[in-house]
Amino acid sequence: MATSASKPPKTADVLIIGAGASGSVAAKHLSENGFSVVCLEQGGRVDNGDFWGNKPEWELMSQKRWHPNPNVRDLEQDYPIDTTDSDVNPLMYSAVGGSTILYAAHWQRFMPSDFRVKTLDGVADDWPFTYEELEPFYDQMDVELGVSALNGDPAYPAGTAAPLPPLPIGKIGMKAAEGMNKLGWHWWPAPNSIPSKPYRGRNQCVRWGTCLTGCPERAKASFDHTHWPDALQSGAVLITGARVREITVDQDGLANGATYIDRTGRERHQKAGVVIVCANGVGTPRLLQLSTSGKFAKGLANSSGLVGKNLMMHPYAAVTGYFDEPLESWLGPAGQTIQSMQFYETDKSRGFVRGAKWQVMPSGGPLGMRAAYGGKPLEEAWGANLHRNTRKVFGRAFEWGIIAEDLPDEANAVVLDPTLKDSDGIPAPKIIYKNSDNTKKMIDFHLARAKEAMLAAGAVDVSLTPLMRDCGWHLMGTARMGNDPARSVVNQYGQSHDVPNLFVYDGSVFVTSSGFNPTGTIAAVALRSVKHLIANRRNQKVAA
Amino acid sequence: MSTLDATLRETFAKIADILIPNAEGMPSASEMKVHGEMLDHILDLRPDLRENFLRGLTKAAGRGASEAANDLNKTDAAALTAIGLVASAGYYMTPRVRELIGYPGQQSRPEKDPDATPEYVANGMLQQVIDRGPIFRPTPK
Repeated sequence: MATSASKPPKTADVLIIGAGASGSVAAKHLSENGFSVVCLEQGGRVDNGDFWGNKPEWELMSQKRWHPNPNVRDLEQDYPIDTTDSDVNPLMYSAVGGSTILYAAHWQRFMPSDFRVKTLDGVADDWPFTYEELEPFYDQMDVELGVSALNGDPAYPAGTAAPLPPLPIGKIGMKAAEGMNKLGWHWWPAPNSIPSKPYRGRNQCVRWGTCLTGCPERAKASFDHTHWPDALQSGAVLITGARVREITVDQDGLANGATYIDRTGRERHQKAGVVIVCANGVGTPRLLQLSTSGKFAKGLANSSGLVGKNLMMHPYAAVTGYFDEPLESWLGPAGQTIQSMQFYETDKSRGFVRGAKWQVMPSGGPLGMRAAYGGKPLEEAWGANLHRNTRKVFGRAFEWGIIAEDLPDEANAVVLDPTLKDSDGIPAPKIIYKNSDNTKKMIDFHLARAKEAMLAAGAVDVSLTPLMRDCGWHLMGTARMGNDPARSVVNQYGQSHDVPNLFVYDGSVFVTSSGFNPTGTIAAVALRSVKHLIANRRNQKVAA
Repeated sequence: MSTLDATLRETFAKIADILIPNAEGMPSASEMKVHGEMLDHILDLRPDLRENFLRGLTKAAGRGASEAANDLNKTDAAALTAIGLVASAGYYMTPRVRELIGYPGQQSRPEKDPDATPEYVANGMLQQVIDRGPIFRPTPK
């Protein structure tokens, strides 16, 4: 059960719930600064040798054991999720390192306007800090992760160069860039938290192209490799297989630990002076809603009633282009090769506000391409047509993926399901999520532009995917931060307005979603928050 | 250890050949022996497929392969999906098929000199983007 050599202290200075991106950042920095830290993680450790990316069976195993949808994987450590009322399936992975085990490592920063959407566009809310205030933390996380990028992207203010040179963009990136230049549209070699050279004990990326199902090379910056070795070295105690049922509070209304169930089925309790929840946009509101008591009848930290509300998941659309030349489009990184923010900023003449980031990614092997044929007539999906389709598209296609910014909407929410339970009998989450008219207009616009980009690049045919159902990688907004306790759950440092020694550091705290992959910002915001906690440790109220 | 008898394998091979026939210069599924050891290997790795796969084959037993496949597609799509996945997964793992479609498998191909100037910089492609200037909106401080 416990994966640390150390025995957990009876009362930890800090208890972290969740060993994903934000929990890993917190564990490393707190333990290196002398705090006693215990982290409870419901999943286990993953060995890179367990991944299939360097084996012929890779695609077969990607569709089950290493699928990002927990309802498909159906592992004991995965809690089931009711998605019957959602347009999008939430994706995640339970393990040390969290969803970074299976993420594509697109290491993005939000753009300055993302922090000022109310001021600039009159929608949603501004964040309680600016891009410029977050920038030093972005810089530090680039170094801690080993980001490979080319400095100077005109989509951002001038800033510090990433520690590693960019990854190769391959034939697909070059082809896409040619199209963008013909149109005079922005593109840039994309940043990835994947090392282009050996970095801090991790190997150079060798371009397996299987980041989304785990890196067999031990190159990709998943947080089990980037942060946990340091945290454990500094004395943090990591307990895996620990499914937290409730955050407990004392008679003064302070969080004093958490009750969890270990893999023998035994219920245990870990005491702590401070509790930090890092279970991300679905797990965190679920746990806060499970943690009810006389003083917190609506759930912990929920006086605003906003815990679980404003779920944002980034609807994802794509345009696939087919070319009449071989492009080796199975080759990594995957990862992203180039990106575009040509249509990122608001232009109200388009009929919607905000925008989307685009990225070029490889299209994988021949079996994955078959997934799109489900439900089609037999002669269309199979038979001689299978061979014709494979010849037409395999190795000759790539996609412009479109990450659409969805704005916060209180109707989009995580709630406790009245009947569904996890393997320990704890109520499972239910997702209620619908795309807004703004989002639909945005996706239509971007699909049309991405189709133009593909044709300009020389595509002989294109196919459009208006909304991919299995796309909810980015889980945000369900414990939003802000200065007003009536309109937010935590303050700008992740501290609960209601419970002064309870913090949330994950993507739940996002005020808006941006149109970017969020892990870089989750990590930077977590770093900013934990540094504030460390600097103010003497003033921090703790449970007795 | 396999629990599939010769009859079930034969039924699978016939349906697999409807789905993946000898055509367009490509061999059929059964020519690539997807109903042999490969079948056992796949079901060992993916036991979740077994129920739908076997149900489909049981329904198809004794019928014409084309008729059975079309019927499954209409009445038991989950079964046909499982049969199709087992067939196509085995087929595309076969070295001969990979050679024919030009797929070497996922490759280890590290960049030899990560610090070398990228082609898109050397040939001026990226300079066109730089020359167009910043595209982000300034924000009030």
